[in-house]
Amino acid sequence: MVQISETSAELIQLLRIENSTPEVLQILDNADSRYIRDLKVNVSNALTSAHISEKETALLALSIAANQKNNTLIAGFQKLADEKGATAEEQNEAISCASLLAGNNVFYRFRHFQQKESYNTMQAKIKMNIMMKPVLGKEFFELISLAVSAVNGCEMCVNAHEHSVREMGASEERVWDAIRLAAVITSLDKVIS
Amino acid sequence: MNIKTIDLNYSSDYSKFVSFNYTKTFSVMQNRILSVGSTFPTFKKTAVVSIEKGKEFTEITSENIVNEDNQWTVMFWWPKDFTFVCPTEIAEFNNAFGDFRDRDTTLIGASTDSEFVHAAWRRDHEDLRGLKFPMLADTSKSLAEELGILEPVEKVALRATFIIDPQGVIRWVSVNDLNVGRNVKEVIRVLDALQTDELCPCNWEKGQETIHA
Repeated sequence: MVQISETSAELIQLLRIENSTPEVLQILDNADSRYIRDLKVNVSNALTSAHISEKETALLALSIAANQKNNTLIAGFQKLADEKGATAEEQNEAISCASLLAGNNVFYRFRHFQQKESYNTMQAKIKMNIMMKPVLGKEFFELISLAVSAVNGCEMCVNAHEHSVREMGASEERVWDAIRLAAVITSLDKVIS
Repeated sequence: MNIKTIDLNYSSDYSKFVSFNYTKTFSVMQNRILSVGSTFPTFKKTAVVSIEKGKEFTEITSENIVNEDNQWTVMFWWPKDFTFVCPTEIAEFNNAFGDFRDRDTTLIGASTDSEFVHAAWRRDHEDLRGLKFPMLADTSKSLAEELGILEPVEKVALRATFIIDPQGVIRWVSVNDLNVGRNVKEVIRVLDALQTDELCPCNWEKGQETIHA
């Protein structure tokens, strides 16, 4: 077993990663990284929200991990989601939402870039039926959509989903916590693969 | 009253299995086809779903068509079981079964033959044994009549295809003469065009109302 710092060990535990120590973490550990301590605190804080339930937090984290195609984080957050009582259908939808939105971000970002009447009126021809009756509920599905769009950097998608989720009753604090979680998981994705 | 003049000139091939052979022009009585925007009629019919003994039949009603699960319906009609054009066409619909299923669409085949004729045909014809969709038996011809697709002389259904939305409203109709086969790809193309796709608020622009799916 490779020697890792207590901080790294705790971080790995928070993320429910088993049987392996991510290599980049080892590099950071070798020089007693202050950054690992920041990262651990950020993860720990982001996973604890007064405005997003533990189950929702696990699902949102799972969705962002899926958007980043990070199998280690996906497996960990699946475990966390199981622990917090998320059903297979809910986990499935969190991953599906990331997949659909990643595509939509590309598609609509193009439209937004172009701002042409023609592209704005042509039919999209992309099926989005899972948006109609999400098992996660519309509001939480929107919240995930917003977080994924923020990660993928589609300005108008972010504005549209923020508008929509707020209309569905989400507070600004709830939105803010979701975005922080998405940001922190994006950080994690750079050092854990 | 909707009087139409139709010029029917059937091929000799077709006359083998129908008891008439027109070469002249004649007038047809009222034949008003239910069209786009109309509510699909209420009905309750027996349908054949299997060739397995004891599992052959089920009941299909208009209540199955109206639903809150965003399930669409494609109902396609043919004139008579045990004829030549039909099995090719029916097999083509069956081959595309997965395309309909994955578009949240229930596929229903129908004719004015009885459920027993349907079952016999399914057992009899190699291409029909593995059918995945129900064959509706409009034995009383009441549904075909209400839809306005009864051919006036033979009193059999024209080759009509209906796309019905989850609210039970007819959104597309296509009617072919008795011996003209259909293009299943075209039905799927229309279905794709009809089904709402842009449900994503990414589509939203400032000042617009939010899309409520």
